[in-house]
Amino acid sequence: MIMKTDDHGGPTAARTIPVRVLRQDAPGQESYWERHDVPWEPNMNVISVLQKVAAIARSQDGRPVAPVAWDCNCLEEVCGSCTMLINGRTRMACSALVDRLLEEHPDGIELRPMSKFPVVRDLVVDRRRLFHSLQRVKAWVPVDDSFDHGPGPRISPEEQEEAYPLAECMSCGCCLEACPQFTRIETPKREGETDEQLAARRTAAFDQGFIGAHAVSQAVLFNKHPTGKMIADERMAALTGPGGIQMCGNAQNCVAVCPKHIPLTRSIARAGRSATLWALKKLFDR
Amino acid sequence: MAQPRVLVVGGGLAGLAASMRLAELGVDVDLMSLVPVKRSHSVCAQGGINSVNALTRQQGDNEWKHLDDTVYGGDFLQHQPPVKEMADWGPRIIDLMDRLGVPFNRTPEGFRDQRRFGGTLYKRTAFAGATTGQQLLYALDEQVRRFEVEGKIRKYEFWDFLSPVVDDSGRCRGAVCQDMVSMQFRSFAADAVILATGGCGLVYGRSTMSMVCTGSAVSRVYQAGAAYGNGEFIQVHPTAIPGADKLRLMSESARGEGGRVWVPRTPQDTRDPRTIPEAERFYFLEERYPKYMNLVPRDIATREIFDICTTDGLSVEKDRLCVYLDLTHIPKETLDRKLGGILDIYEKFQGVDPRTTPMKIFPAVHYSMGGLWVDYERSPTGGMLEGSPRNQQTSLPGLYAIGECDYQYHGANRLGANSLLSCIFSGLFCAAGVQASAGAKRAPAAESLYAAALRREEERHEALIQRRGGGENPYGIHHELGDLMTRVATVVRRNDQLAAAYDEVCALEERWRRCSLSDTGNWTNQNVVFTKSLGDMFPLAKLILKGALLRDECRGAHYKPDFEMPGIAATDPEGKRREAEEWCDRFEANTNKWLKSTIANHGADGHPQITYEDIDTSLIPPRPRLYGLVGGEVIEEVWRERLRAREVNGGQVATREVGVGAQS
Amino acid sequence: MTLPSFVSRHQFLIYRLFSLSGLIPVGAFLVVHLLTNASVLGGAASFQSRVDMIHSLGPLLIPVEFAFIFLPMLFHAAVGFAIIAGGLPNVGSYPYMGNVRYTLQRATGMIAFAFILWHIIQLHWLGAPLGGGRFDPHHATSSAATVIAPLGVSLLYAIGVLSAVFHLSNGLWTIGITWGLWTSPAAMQRANVISIIVGVVLAAAGLGAIGGLRSTDVAAARQVETRMEDFKRMMEGQAPDAAAGGHGAAGSTATVPAADAIDLRGPSEPSALVIPTPTTSSSPPGN
Repeated sequence: MIMKTDDHGGPTAARTIPVRVLRQDAPGQESYWERHDVPWEPNMNVISVLQKVAAIARSQDGRPVAPVAWDCNCLEEVCGSCTMLINGRTRMACSALVDRLLEEHPDGIELRPMSKFPVVRDLVVDRRRLFHSLQRVKAWVPVDDSFDHGPGPRISPEEQEEAYPLAECMSCGCCLEACPQFTRIETPKREGETDEQLAARRTAAFDQGFIGAHAVSQAVLFNKHPTGKMIADERMAALTGPGGIQMCGNAQNCVAVCPKHIPLTRSIARAGRSATLWALKKLFDR
Repeated sequence: MAQPRVLVVGGGLAGLAASMRLAELGVDVDLMSLVPVKRSHSVCAQGGINSVNALTRQQGDNEWKHLDDTVYGGDFLQHQPPVKEMADWGPRIIDLMDRLGVPFNRTPEGFRDQRRFGGTLYKRTAFAGATTGQQLLYALDEQVRRFEVEGKIRKYEFWDFLSPVVDDSGRCRGAVCQDMVSMQFRSFAADAVILATGGCGLVYGRSTMSMVCTGSAVSRVYQAGAAYGNGEFIQVHPTAIPGADKLRLMSESARGEGGRVWVPRTPQDTRDPRTIPEAERFYFLEERYPKYMNLVPRDIATREIFDICTTDGLSVEKDRLCVYLDLTHIPKETLDRKLGGILDIYEKFQGVDPRTTPMKIFPAVHYSMGGLWVDYERSPTGGMLEGSPRNQQTSLPGLYAIGECDYQYHGANRLGANSLLSCIFSGLFCAAGVQASAGAKRAPAAESLYAAALRREEERHEALIQRRGGGENPYGIHHELGDLMTRVATVVRRNDQLAAAYDEVCALEERWRRCSLSDTGNWTNQNVVFTKSLGDMFPLAKLILKGALLRDECRGAHYKPDFEMPGIAATDPEGKRREAEEWCDRFEANTNKWLKSTIANHGADGHPQITYEDIDTSLIPPRPRLYGLVGGEVIEEVWRERLRAREVNGGQVATREVGVGAQS
Repeated sequence: MTLPSFVSRHQFLIYRLFSLSGLIPVGAFLVVHLLTNASVLGGAASFQSRVDMIHSLGPLLIPVEFAFIFLPMLFHAAVGFAIIAGGLPNVGSYPYMGNVRYTLQRATGMIAFAFILWHIIQLHWLGAPLGGGRFDPHHATSSAATVIAPLGVSLLYAIGVLSAVFHLSNGLWTIGITWGLWTSPAAMQRANVISIIVGVVLAAAGLGAIGGLRSTDVAAARQVETRMEDFKRMMEGQAPDAAAGGHGAAGSTATVPAADAIDLRGPSEPSALVIPTPTTSSSPPGN
């Protein structure tokens, strides 16, 4: 039994946090719950809980178990890796503080993988679709090349202040996980299918699905940029294509769960306005 | 002839910049990364990116001064031509990033705004909010995505670089890598391989670095024969927020706005800090540095905080070293206005409001100045010759290193906001040379070469998976390694400790060989990936320790109190003069002996073989850093006299006069 | 072209038409309908005259109803059900106001649709083959009051009307976002206030009509309606047809009574209705 010294007091009885993890060994396999007891320490976050689970390598009942697989990198909420469902809500594991979680749910902590993406293993999910959406809306400035052509366009502080929050999107996927309109697309490999065939089928499936709030917001960001807007029509075609902005159901969960507080619903409404004008233009002006 | 194909390993700023430029030049790129490239560690950089700009130019700034600040800040431990080239490229790089859509902060007229950073007198630093690194990375990520759609770049995300494939002539012909999802091995044939895999903070356990910064890729090419330079130079940031999982940066501006650093006079006082009376608080920086108070230079602050906890045993907590950084005496509105963003970070991760409770902070490993040794070709103007296949090439031909994982740009100490510049610069600049190298005509490597390399890695993997009964826990060993390295090889270094630590690291490495895995499966096995990377941390730890042990001097981030050059003790003018002369003699002797890059080569016995490499200081002659040194003004006077005398004698000294002494 | 590929290619257009159809004509019709119904609060004659106005379209009424009400509503419902089927409500995990409204929008849409079906079957000539058609446009107030008299029916009507009203007023707010009329959170908040006001007014009208019908003296209303019918026929040159069932007893010959013979307020013989009508009590027996 691990005895812990309280940082502000004398020795106290070991305090452990019950952790329930929904595990899945591989795609297509059954998921199962596993319980772990993790010794409590001050200032813990969910990442350090998972690190301890890996180090202990035993479940609550003492069975040796493989460490829980999960994604993480920067641990300071800028890389977007460690999204998971913590006590039922999508959030970043690095900024989910254990003491706060225990205040909400004194019974312990429940960890599940994101539900809108195919599970790779345990808490690791395959978020390629999220990046594919960025391809769909051409979320980039179409520069000629990377050689020297002098500075970029002049931009007012107001424009910068509008653009910056949108540019902070770290592709974590929280907005997609919480969106009732964004549903999972899974393309398990078929018998006799080559990797290329699978990739083509997956891309086709992604192209039909909802692009999601993050991609809409990126399209808005680049359609505002003086150079970026030069391919605004191409982005509008994507935004009004299959799985485009029309799929939004205005539940506005995206903006409520976004860890970077990006004004996603404003982006969606602005994209809606542009889509309206663009569609009218297309109808009457060409 | 087939299209040249280049493998870029690492998708941070450097790797993305190189990939973008190579794709543009018509080279096919395979871009490999442990994480989706958008999640690379570059996103963590906050402050900004340095470059001479229109405004500073009119205040007397120029590229030469940027070069001077950089080499002076780095204590002259870098070859100067690459730094000159970087400073020259600075304005172009900022312009490029601006064109790519980076939302740099703006002046009311719509120009890019700049702020001043440490180590210079000019407002050279362009910034985008508090997440400049993130914004720069995203701009490059977007361009790379564009090329990905066009089919010019193929991404391999969640892949681990295992080893370079080296042919009989010693040239790198590709790499063996592993898909970390399916655990499948694959060898990649490449006409050149570029490593852009960042720093090695995880050798120190917890640092301000991201979880992928294990240094494993660098260690693997080092073990395959590539030389490693200046390993012992590790930058430690004075104020970070200690966390169970990672140490998060707390900006220096907290002290700039009046934050006070203190510890309770009673060791590990258990009282609430707010209830501890003034008399029982030890404001050690204010007491020891009455002139600079809490705003002493970074390295001094780092050393003092470190010492008060380790040597004096006055850490606030027993298990976790830390001191108080107190802002509670400052009005809340002032704090919110000036420090809102960074205080929110503290509150988010500590769950404590720093406006009402003193923060707990401690120095943290932040950046590796050292890295893979890389070559360059000097241009007639004293810069680097663009398009030379030698630029950024490691000691293994065909293998290149750029970004934080090379040793080229920051010498003994990196200036704030120079790292983003060096990453983008080295990535962009190396591309033409890599293209030339990759496009050169040579016979294709034999299939058997790749097959053998692949088999070697598969066998190594199988052996690891099948290891039974050792009972050692890799996470536990990593914890011990980190604690050891942090204790002896960060802020204050002592030879006895370094020597003992070297043996301990060897012992840990032995124990690592007895690690048994808790996951022996072959699907997304993070356990085996981590255990492998842990094994590759030992060669790096050893070269850091050995380099530090052998370097008997103080230079930049490398501080050995036993070899410190004290200031002037005499008070009479004559005595001062005499001591200053002696000081300068000693400085010159030390420069002659130690102004050399440490080069480590992996020995067959597993120990690093250390040699030293002369440094090209032809552009700016080395001069003493006298910041805050007692009697510094007398030393400066003597030094200037010597400099002038040498010029008269026609010595090889740069024609430009550059200031000596205090530059904050 | 297969249906799925057609739908997929024109998804944006279909969804925008869906959004538009909710407002015009379906939403607009709901507003007219509820305000017409609310006129019952002004007395049987007031309601009857508005119903008469609608029915003055005569043979055009049916195509108009199909073109502007039923088909748009069916389109809106069909697309709506497809949208509902494609979503995954998660208000349990994310109990935010916007999400609650998202969920309610779908729930009320389904309730309103079921209600409207029942409503049409029960009251409208379209539902006659299914045992409906109990609304007599010549006796609008009295027949409606009779139908709605049972408490259970009144409650169902209240639920149906409130669902439709919520669906419309919340839809008004989301349409503004979808089409980009209001984009900032502050503008959305202002639009929200407007949509709440619209919702409250429509809810008041709808519930007012139900209350008005419930408090109607059926016999008295019937007398008013009969006299209005008589007057109308007289104006059209037809004899008061006291015994004729249904409407428009075409071909019946009549003498023209003097205008002063019509007493709009006086008692009169009840005419036969399609359904039996209580003759005295103002609190009708349950059906």
